[in-house]
Order: sequence, then structure tokens, then C-alpha cells
Amino acid sequence: MDTDKLETLLGNQAHEFDLAVRITKEEDIAVARQMAKQLAQEMGFSLADTTKIATAVSELARNIYRYAKQGRILLRKKNAGKSEPAIEIIAADRGPGIPDVDLVLTKGYTTYERSLGIGLSGVKRLMDSFAIYSEVGKGTVVVAEKRRRRF
Amino acid sequence: MKETPSNPEQVVPILQIADFLLVPIQIDLDDKTVSRLQEQLLKEIERTRAKAVILDVRTVEIIDSYISYTLSETAAMARLMGCRTILCGIRPAVALTLAQMGIVLEELNIARDLEHALVLASSS
Repeated sequence: MDTDKLETLLGNQAHEFDLAVRITKEEDIAVARQMAKQLAQEMGFSLADTTKIATAVSELARNIYRYAKQGRILLRKKNAGKSEPAIEIIAADRGPGIPDVDLVLTKGYTTYERSLGIGLSGVKRLMDSFAIYSEVGKGTVVVAEKRRRRF
Repeated sequence: MKETPSNPEQVVPILQIADFLLVPIQIDLDDKTVSRLQEQLLKEIERTRAKAVILDVRTVEIIDSYISYTLSETAAMARLMGCRTILCGIRPAVALTLAQMGIVLEELNIARDLEHALVLASSS
């Protein structure tokens, strides 16, 4: 695993993003997804893609709350002014880390009893790009992106 | 149609129509709300001895994997109490998202809209 990349991402400054939501309690999951929805709407995403973005943020925020107790959701507009802007989602926590990243991306795999085991694999399916950086004892960062489509 | 006695613990209104319950979910389903909804619904099924529950999610904008899980789990619990659960009014954007994530709503009967749900509820 790329430790330097993980450290860089964990050190991201909130002010470099259009939106930063600290996840420390259950209610923050709903706050994060509402704010993601608003930003996606502002950027002109279709209703379907706005829903996918908000749902992905909901999954990522819940993972932070469940496994790391606290962390951050950072959202950024990319390619501003271009015809195809994109939204970048970063979910970062200094939690326990994931021993086997490929395993958690397997549909149906979960270590949490009240779960479908679809969270991370679902986020990957909803987004245009998806990367996960994790190291046991250091933390986990998910970086995902969704491009706006012409419609 | 009568509304069950108002109770501050109730997160959503539950309407009783003949021997089934109609639950219009018109709030953002956060994690606590969806668990409270489950508890409230099971109590009402017991109290009213309903044969079917209709969950109307027409105004729900986001259904993620945890909400899906809890709704399916609630339906499985209701089934153990002899009650069917019908979900209706899934928005197109929510349907797209659930399908793309590969989420299957087990235990739930799905209806197009409230009218269709009422037909299903009465046909058992």
C-alpha cells in the first residue's frame, strides 16, 4: 500500500475543499448526504446522478462512523468552468484501517452484523472513479469522482 | 381510515385501513429514524393485528444500503408476525441507484404506486 499517498490524503486541509463535514456522530451521516446533494444540484448534476452522489456519501460517512468513530467527508468541484465538471469525494479517517482492501470490495462481505455488505462495492459502482488507500493502524481514505453528464 | 392514537414517540403516521396499515414515509430516513420506525411498526402490527403493511416511499430521496437492510429486516420480522410488507412509490432516481449498487430488497413486495399496493394488500 502507498503509505505516502495515504498520509498526504489524511493531511488534506478542509479549506482546500468546497465542503467539509466532520463525522463524529450518527446524525452527521444525514448531514453529509444532504450537503452532498446540495452541492451536486448546484453543479447541475441530473437528479439521478445527484441521488447517486448523495447515496455514495451516505455509505462512506456511515463507514467512517461505524469503523473509525470519526473522520471527514471532503467534497470538491473539479474542472470548474469546463463543459464536463466533476465532483470529487474524499472520505478520510485515522481509524483502524482495512487489512484486506480487495475483500471489503467484495459484494456481500461485511464485518458489521446489521449490514448488506454492499457499502463500498456499491459506492464503486455508483462512481466514475474509485480508489481506496488504507493501512492497519494508520487509517483509510476513499477517493471517488463522478463526472457530470450532458443530458 | 383512522389514524392510530398520536404518540410523541411515533416518527411517522401509521394509518389503519381495514386490516392493513398504511405508512407514508415523508421524512429523511436517518439511521435512528429508520430503527425507530421499525420498532413502531412492529408494535402497531401487534396492536392492530394487521395482515399487510404498505410503506409508501414516494417522497424519500435517498435509500442507501443501511436503510434497505433495515426495511428488509422489518419486513422479515413482520412476516414472522403473519403480516406482509409492500413497498411502493420508489422514485426513478432511487431505483437507478439501488439497482446500480446491486441492492435487492428481500422480503418486500414491491408495488408501482399506492393504488397498486392497495390492490396487492387486499388480494392476500
